[in-house]
Amino acid sequence: MPDQAPVVELLVAFGQELREAGLPVGTGDVMTCCAAVATLDPSDLADLYWAGRTTMVTRRDQIPVYDRVFRRFFLGQPDAPAGAETLKPAIRAATPARSVLEIPATERGESGDDEEVSLGLMASDTEVRRDKSFAACTPEELAALRRIMARIRLTPPRRCTRRTAPAPTGSRPDMRRTVRETMRTHGEPAELFWRRRRERMRPLILILDISGSMSDYSRNLLQFAHSTSRAAARVEVFCFGTRLTRITKALERRRVDDALDQAAKAVVDWEGGTRIGDSLDAFVRGWGRRGTSRGAIVVICSDGLDRGDPAVLAGAMERLGRLSHRIVWMNPHKGDSTDFRPSTLGMMVAAPNIDLLLSGHDLRSLEELAALLPELR
Amino acid sequence: MSEGRPDHPATVGELTDLLRGHGYLADRGMSTALFVALSLGRPILLEGEVGVGKTEVAKALAAVFERRLIRLQCYEGIDTNQALYEWDYARQMLQIRALSERQLDDEDAVDKLFGPKFLLERPLLEAVRAGDRAVLLIDEIDRADDEFEAFLLELLSDFQITIPEVGTVAAATRPLVVLTSNRTRELHDALKRRCLYHWVGYPSPEREVEIVLVRTPGVAEGLARKIVAAVNRLRQLDLAKPPGVAETLDWVATLQVLGEDDLDERSAADTLGAVVKERDDLELVHEHLEEIVSGA
Repeated sequence: MPDQAPVVELLVAFGQELREAGLPVGTGDVMTCCAAVATLDPSDLADLYWAGRTTMVTRRDQIPVYDRVFRRFFLGQPDAPAGAETLKPAIRAATPARSVLEIPATERGESGDDEEVSLGLMASDTEVRRDKSFAACTPEELAALRRIMARIRLTPPRRCTRRTAPAPTGSRPDMRRTVRETMRTHGEPAELFWRRRRERMRPLILILDISGSMSDYSRNLLQFAHSTSRAAARVEVFCFGTRLTRITKALERRRVDDALDQAAKAVVDWEGGTRIGDSLDAFVRGWGRRGTSRGAIVVICSDGLDRGDPAVLAGAMERLGRLSHRIVWMNPHKGDSTDFRPSTLGMMVAAPNIDLLLSGHDLRSLEELAALLPELR
Repeated sequence: MSEGRPDHPATVGELTDLLRGHGYLADRGMSTALFVALSLGRPILLEGEVGVGKTEVAKALAAVFERRLIRLQCYEGIDTNQALYEWDYARQMLQIRALSERQLDDEDAVDKLFGPKFLLERPLLEAVRAGDRAVLLIDEIDRADDEFEAFLLELLSDFQITIPEVGTVAAATRPLVVLTSNRTRELHDALKRRCLYHWVGYPSPEREVEIVLVRTPGVAEGLARKIVAAVNRLRQLDLAKPPGVAETLDWVATLQVLGEDDLDERSAADTLGAVVKERDDLELVHEHLEEIVSGA
């Protein structure tokens, strides 16, 4: 179709521009777009816009980016100045001195096989103590502890799903197998076969306070998040200080250091000050309401020092309690005490909705979390 | 274009008019997306807020093209038995029983047991058989799980189903497939790529007034405008469940039934349940009721 060639070239170039802006546009999508434009009027700008939007956009949050590139490509309008929405996260270079999530290298070299050997060595070198608070550890001790933690996986509890699978005993008859067997016994159902409901792990959601001193504790939970998501459970990870940031994507790297590095870059606010209530509220509105936390175990790691309005925190915790299965709160100030009384206003406000309160200030308490988690049915 | 059914429309404008004739007001984007879907024979995924007319458009399309509407309502745990086909086990067992009692030595007996008489066809198989005589609506696909999505992807690619005991059923022509999602879950990319994508947002106020006038005949335009303005203010209020177009229409119908011809604080307070459906939201709305209802 020689007369169509210029239109095709145009659309291919447009597809390239979209790709550069961060939209995942494949060749197949461009082809579909060409086919779509062929059924419409290529000279009509509105038709072009909608044809492209229907075929090359797959998510709602890609729409503003598409609009911007379309305007630039077809209408020649320059981009709006800084602050334009892009899909590539803006790496705000905070002054490195304040970069609180600095991670000393956990893995030595490339080989992970040496881990076990080096684990033993390191452990004896630095006398790893399970009950030493993270805040008091030196970077080498922290690295050693993290190597140990890399071996532990958080296992969320299981729940019954609505799917069934064949099983030796169960409450539902397996009609298909029964009928097949019945044919052998001339219509007399001699043996009944059963099905049982399958179990599935609940999703796990980590909401970590990384402001000020909390980052010491939170980054260790990030280690857990990384190893748990590698174990193919559904894990979502969020960080907050004054704002909530979703860092699940950043953690999808094989090497944990890379993953934590990416996470550190994705979080933008290092200014200190904590707004727990507003952040949890943002979570509830942005994700909780959409069902991300439905049936999930939510683990919040924070000391409860909230600078925001306590009423907001109370409301958010109440909603979160209804939208999720269980809420676990890790408060390092709890330490080893068993009769901890919440002393900060934030903790007092949040307390009625917390199902399990742990400390998370040392390795032993994290191991406790790993042990208690599967029990939260 | 067969058996006297309406022709495929030639332009986007024609499709918009056809839909309007059946009471569905589609904006330019929606019409274009549907037109492309019809022309290319691709499924279309409509994502958007609750109550904006995603399901309605499938019904309207079925009416416009005089096709059968086959609806598959998805839920968590839906599997091939509910979506595709199932054997009528009870009947099969009775048949076996009957055959064995009469001691029939019939070679074909077992084959007949897996014949059409004992096959319960579910929506997807019906759609494959119906081909372009049907509009297949897969409603709320976000409520189904990953396994179902994978299975659906395969179906949407080939449009043929293999039933082990019977054989392969292939669609001679493809039905129009409309998938809807309320975005409670992120769908798998592979499924999204298979379909055309359209985000359905809230209509503009003028458009919403039009919709109200078309859908609820007998309502005064002034009242319609007031209600649409109030609903738009509600949407700005950051409620847990913002009202959709369906709620607007419900509100209008409620006021009509009660014989109210004006929207003031009293009538609004009485009928708020039609448009605000959550306890926390109700409290918030009552606080701001005056400014919501005031003005146009």
